[in-house]
Amino acid sequence: MTSPADIEQLIARTAIKDRAAFSALYDATSAKLFGVCMLVLRNRAEAEEALQEVFIRVWHKADSYAVTGHSPMTWLITVARNLSIDRLRARKAQPATLDEAFDISDTRPGPEDTAIAGSEARRINNCLQELEPDRAGAVKGAYLNGDSYQDLAERYGVPLNTMRTWLRRSLAALRECMTR
Amino acid sequence: MSDPHDIPDDDMLAAEYVLRLLEGDALRAAEQRLANDAAFRSLVHDWEAHFAGLAADAQEIAPPAKAKAQVMERVAPSTRPRRRGFSLIAALALVAALAVVLLTPVLRGPASLEPAYEAALVSETGDLVITAGFVPDENLLILSRTTGTARPGRVIELWLIADGASTPVSLGVLPDAPEARLSLTPETSAALPGGTLAVSDEPPGGSNTGAPTGDVLAAAAVIEL
Repeated sequence: MTSPADIEQLIARTAIKDRAAFSALYDATSAKLFGVCMLVLRNRAEAEEALQEVFIRVWHKADSYAVTGHSPMTWLITVARNLSIDRLRARKAQPATLDEAFDISDTRPGPEDTAIAGSEARRINNCLQELEPDRAGAVKGAYLNGDSYQDLAERYGVPLNTMRTWLRRSLAALRECMTR
Repeated sequence: MSDPHDIPDDDMLAAEYVLRLLEGDALRAAEQRLANDAAFRSLVHDWEAHFAGLAADAQEIAPPAKAKAQVMERVAPSTRPRRRGFSLIAALALVAALAVVLLTPVLRGPASLEPAYEAALVSETGDLVITAGFVPDENLLILSRTTGTARPGRVIELWLIADGASTPVSLGVLPDAPEARLSLTPETSAALPGGTLAVSDEPPGGSNTGAPTGDVLAAAAVIEL
């Protein structure tokens, strides 16, 4: 099991174009990042393409990692999620095909995952549970499904401004919960 | 009537930015601030870390082997420039001098053999470069080792992982000579397009287990030219 410190080292060496370190970084993290791409894109072929783009970006942007102050997995997961959302939004112009039976709520961590997910995952999930299900669903929809305010307003059958207010209240509640 | 939650503070803007809820002018303004405002940038990073917890729940799923091969090829491309043609003059001249361990004897094919598929096998450090050109009509795999050699006292063995297969199939041991032609069975030929070729470090005579025993030196997807 590669520790966060090890992964941080591999990112640092990737920043100086150490291909062996980059290869090891891929081996250590690609399964998790592929899982993230699948979670967002729900289509194996697209997730495979997205995963390649993720690691290409990691190769080119590894030097910016330290600036973010993130833990290494947080940074990698954020890159994977952002790229996947980009793809998802580009695809939304066309009708979606749900390739896998992936439910947005089907996110049970595997046995090794808790070590990587860590306290941040537990924290946000606990805090989301303090919200009403619809409000939590809206936050998750935005983060994992690229839902816009318009999408969310339509889904929950409320005017746009109401959705904005609801979401901002949810964010305020989350902020309060996560800084407790 | 004014609800304090309707007036977005910076922290709220940062969260909305991370959630990709900002559009148009609001989005552009936030992007500007991200570039110029360290405090705002810090808020964005905090929210990124918070929300990453949601994605961190994702199950681990092993991606296909070819995904890594393609990534490595894109970040460490082969030192030879890719070319559509394939000069066989050198290869044909060396065929007679080869001592090749083959599945079947080498065929004497016609003079013009243009590969329709290619795999660029490049080791991580770029010290081993082998190009494989596949000529489907002849069931022929033309191998050109342009950089590097087998490790001392060892050999390089070639493997094919067909698309969707879970185990590699040996295509034989590469000769000492840099150019080689391998005659393939129809089944192997059919499995090459979309598959992945790999080379491993093996004891003389190759692996005796049916699977690679030594380091995988390079792997690459077989792609249509």
